[in-house]
Amino acid sequence: MQAVRVPRPATVPSRSATPAWSRDLLVFLAFITPNVVSLCVFSYWPMLRNLWLSFTYWDMIAPEPLWIGLDNWIEVLTSATFWTVLRNTLVFTVGSVVITIMIALGLSLLLNQKRRGRNLVRAAMFAPAILPGSAIALVWTFLLAPYYGLISQGATALGMPMTRWQNDPFWAMPTVILVVIWKSTGYDAVIFLAGLQGIPRELYEAARVDGANAWQRFVNVTVPGLSPVAFFLTVTSILSSFQAFDVIRVMTGGGPVYATTTLIYQVYSEAFVGFNAGRAATYATILFGLMLAITVVQIRMVEKRVTYE
Amino acid sequence: MNLRTRRGALSAAGLLGTGLALAACGGDAASGGAAAPAASSGPVKLVYWGAFAANLGKVQEDVVKQFNDSQKAVTVEHQFQGSYEELANKLTAALQAKQAPDMAVLSDVWWYKFYLNKAIQPMDDLMKAEKVDTKDYVDSLFNEYVQGGKSYALPFARSTPLFYYNKDAYKKAGLPDRAPKTWDEFVKDFAPKLKGAIDPKQFVFANGGYSAWIFQGVIWQFGGAYSDKDFKMTIGEPKGVQAGEFYRDSIKAGWAQSVKSDTDEFKQMNAVNIINSTGSLVGILDAAKGKFEVGTGFLPEGPAGFGCPTGGAGVAILSGLAKEKQQAAMQYLAFATSPKVQAVWSQQTGYMPVRKAAIESKEMQDFIKTNPNFKTALDQLPKTKFQDSARVFVPNGDQILAKGLERILVNQEAPSTVFKEVADTLTKEAEPVIKARKALGA
Repeated sequence: MQAVRVPRPATVPSRSATPAWSRDLLVFLAFITPNVVSLCVFSYWPMLRNLWLSFTYWDMIAPEPLWIGLDNWIEVLTSATFWTVLRNTLVFTVGSVVITIMIALGLSLLLNQKRRGRNLVRAAMFAPAILPGSAIALVWTFLLAPYYGLISQGATALGMPMTRWQNDPFWAMPTVILVVIWKSTGYDAVIFLAGLQGIPRELYEAARVDGANAWQRFVNVTVPGLSPVAFFLTVTSILSSFQAFDVIRVMTGGGPVYATTTLIYQVYSEAFVGFNAGRAATYATILFGLMLAITVVQIRMVEKRVTYE
Repeated sequence: MNLRTRRGALSAAGLLGTGLALAACGGDAASGGAAAPAASSGPVKLVYWGAFAANLGKVQEDVVKQFNDSQKAVTVEHQFQGSYEELANKLTAALQAKQAPDMAVLSDVWWYKFYLNKAIQPMDDLMKAEKVDTKDYVDSLFNEYVQGGKSYALPFARSTPLFYYNKDAYKKAGLPDRAPKTWDEFVKDFAPKLKGAIDPKQFVFANGGYSAWIFQGVIWQFGGAYSDKDFKMTIGEPKGVQAGEFYRDSIKAGWAQSVKSDTDEFKQMNAVNIINSTGSLVGILDAAKGKFEVGTGFLPEGPAGFGCPTGGAGVAILSGLAKEKQQAAMQYLAFATSPKVQAVWSQQTGYMPVRKAAIESKEMQDFIKTNPNFKTALDQLPKTKFQDSARVFVPNGDQILAKGLERILVNQEAPSTVFKEVADTLTKEAEPVIKARKALGA
């Protein structure tokens, strides 16, 4: 979060004995304190506590966690489960983020044109974004249900074999990704649309005057113009896909076996199914480190290519 | 917020990030909402956490209501908390927050964890004061909750696995109107005939859920076990592996399929046979009404004969209640497990009556004459056994076993490898339990 800078007035009429800098400081503190306090209580303290828990064994009932040093870390990092879960997390994130952003970009380009019914389509497209993930997951579960589900019946009518999408080790992950894409495309498209409308008209006109064709205008005006929005969407989508839980919880419960268990889901099942708070904390710390690393890389490396005004 | 500047984009990302982090804090585990009202004049108020939904939930509500109407000294408030797992989950959080209820339903795989942590209280003195006839409880069900000579819960919704079959499908296939006596008979005779006669799958196994409870019976039928009493994990030994091979072959040979919900597939007539809890009986009968006839039987025998575990849930009283509340809680428990209530509870749910007097009552005997499916469960009860320590006493043992079974059923992995890994994991997870037992002098 940005620090709030209070601009110092050029001349301060000295009505009190307090020097100007200390009044500035007070104003500064007044602005940041509520936020910093809530961040400390609800984010930083739990993070530190979580790190500490990762060196303990605790079943969440015993009065005190038991210090066991690096045991959790060694066990997690040497287990096959961890690597499966890590791979699932990457597949889920890459799958859902990349495809969502590409579809959203395409949709926003279409909807940026003046066509009839444009507003209706925009509203319809955005609708899934305001629905709770668990409700969406339930509806899709119903659609995908073996035998009576709409999709299963359609697939059978087309001569495809009956598939239990959510219980199939191959199909479970693509199914979950599909639902997440369906849920988030509308939101991304609307943000893209806002970005498109923010690109100054004169740039297109200038490009046209210079003889650029549609493709050239897209590559040289639209793409750079959209890059801040695309960057914003990539950062936030990756972060939220690392935290995607509701759809997985409802649709597959992380299964079959570990097919749709992502890091965040593993944190949940270690903590609230297995009651092993220490191991859950280890997974949570790894997840945190991974998100931090990816965000830093994005800001350091990728953002260089972003064109701001 | 202007996204087209660097600062705008970053602070938007930051805001969103904070929002997500805060949202993540508000997990559902922290509920509780069971603040015990202070004892004053008027009835003693008790909070009771239940885990029964749908039909079972309605019957549970009825039991509580009858109790509240039957006397004036105690009022029980029943609060539904989700599945056994969700309830245990919330109870753990509630204990941390010192907001625990006064009584809770705890399943076969959960009560022991709360016992080890001294979260539930011995009931012997309370039962004596309430003049509960402990001898009248079905011995095996009652004794499962006895540790160090003291009772830590009373059996309430106790069940066993049961073999369910679709009678109409059996008739069409020209099969006798009974469950298969052995797996051999089922695989060689029943399954091929069913396959030729009708469309749906002959058998479905649920993966996930309580699959390790169902397989507890199967592994015994093959002469194996999850573990011995002292937590030596034996699932990876040849007989256990043989049972695992049987599961894997069932899918490979095509007479069985692995599904998320076996009861759903059975109710929708997509599977002819399943093994599920007696507690599902009434739900299944209701769903099948007007569609097909349901038959039940004992679990099929394997190479080593018969094997079937007990299961289901008991009710425990939480530690640290005021004396007055403890006794009030026992008053409710005595009512809920009384022969009269148990006879009704059993008929309306399919759970085993936990009282001998309830089983022998004229009411129950009349009932099973017209409802033979209930008789199957009752007849099978004396042949059932207490489950292996690995599933019921090791924290998360049930889920570790279920994951292993899922790898065999869904991924078709080799049982020899899977069960060896499962045994290793269980051995490790059992360590804290063994320590805690020693500390308690068990």
